[in-house]
Amino acid sequence: MTRNPQSRRISSETLIQLAVDTLRSDIRPAIPAEQRYTLAMVANALEIARRDMVTDGDSALWDLLDAVYPDGDGTAERLAHDIRHGHVHDGAPPDLRALLKAIVIGELRIRNPRFLKSREIGG
Amino acid sequence: MSTSRPRTLDPANLDPLVTYLAHALGAERVRVSSAELLSGGAVQENWSLYVEVVGGPRAGSARWVLRTDAAARLPVSLDRTGEFAVLQTANAAGVRIAEPILECADAAVIGAPFMLQAFLAGTAQARRLVRTPDLAAWGGDVAVELAHQLAKIHAIRPGLNSAERLSFLPQPLLPPARAEVARLRGMLDGAGEARPALEYALTWLDQNAPAPNPLCLVHGDYRTGNYMVADGQLSAILDWEFAHWGDPLEDIGWFCARCWRFGNDAMEAGGIARRDVFVDAYVHTSDLSVRPADIIYWEVMAAVKWAAIAVLQGDRYRKGGEDAIELVLTGLMPSEMELDALLLIEQLEGTQNG
Repeated sequence: MTRNPQSRRISSETLIQLAVDTLRSDIRPAIPAEQRYTLAMVANALEIARRDMVTDGDSALWDLLDAVYPDGDGTAERLAHDIRHGHVHDGAPPDLRALLKAIVIGELRIRNPRFLKSREIGG
Repeated sequence: MSTSRPRTLDPANLDPLVTYLAHALGAERVRVSSAELLSGGAVQENWSLYVEVVGGPRAGSARWVLRTDAAARLPVSLDRTGEFAVLQTANAAGVRIAEPILECADAAVIGAPFMLQAFLAGTAQARRLVRTPDLAAWGGDVAVELAHQLAKIHAIRPGLNSAERLSFLPQPLLPPARAEVARLRGMLDGAGEARPALEYALTWLDQNAPAPNPLCLVHGDYRTGNYMVADGQLSAILDWEFAHWGDPLEDIGWFCARCWRFGNDAMEAGGIARRDVFVDAYVHTSDLSVRPADIIYWEVMAAVKWAAIAVLQGDRYRKGGEDAIELVLTGLMPSEMELDALLLIEQLEGTQNG
């Protein structure tokens, strides 16, 4: 029988999720009410980090940068600058707003999927 | 990195404060029997004081609120002296606020400039307000009252005698919407994170500004969370540190913006009432006609402004600040407001093209 040395490894994602679950189920009831907001922030930060580890949140940005800067030198800074100064606009590329929306949605899949749900956008 | 914020007022050593108050109030002596830090106030501190004044025009016992400049102030907010002048003007115009009592620009007294206002009962906690089971019983009435109060604020206009205390407020050199775009771009120029979607929305706002309304006093943060409700009645408008000369629709768009409904999205007026209840009451009281599309334009502005503020909050961490985790989480929020801005732009353009 072949053994896989990785098969029983606990993933970092699982570890963070366990930490979040423990904070909420065991720690939250035991701390004073005025510290619960801080605990909620800590749990939220951990969940964002967990989603970031398993989600490719930058693909939409790279798609847009590749479309606008075929030389491969595109960055978010350059794109922001060129939008402000009118070098990149609704006409070029023609679907600029949709591509920007895709970037923002990609970020929200990591940062706040519930927000997407409230806007009736699939998380 | 600490999650606690350094405080200015020291409740264990109130001597400098009472000495100052006795002098400033023309009293024989002043006693502060308790000083308690109130919740809320991300930008400044609020302290509840029980005060006994002997002699002078304010003689008697009272409960006041002392508000300080906090250690980290947003660059766009007024200092306490400026805010006090705005409060005096609003008070004289009959706007429902806690009476302004005095201001102290000398940071040496308690460690930061401060001002005193009368204490009023009520809650300003937005999430609690929009979720109260009896919201249907009072939400509409409070929204109407908020609209009436807003019309009074907007009747304060530059050049009027009633606004003479506000000569220090700069008048925009451009129409207010375009001036606001320029100001927000300036805020973002020094930021540590580029936001292409935010720049897109700013460009759209610059190119699609509606005809400006007459310049007036704008509260600048008129939303649920910045007014108090007691027993189902509006008791006071709070937090005037972002007041400025601008377009009245800025406040209406801010009040109705989805980011300030605190999840009660169907109640488009601040999460407490229907939009038409608020807007109709405002139009009935003011001399302004309001186009629905112009309010949506200013809702886009509201989303963009909140996104820009969130970027700057994240910068306070990136550049070394306090309250790290709260600031970092706020710094991750711009994408929420950017999505709202893009959806509203789609809605407006769909209406115009459809």
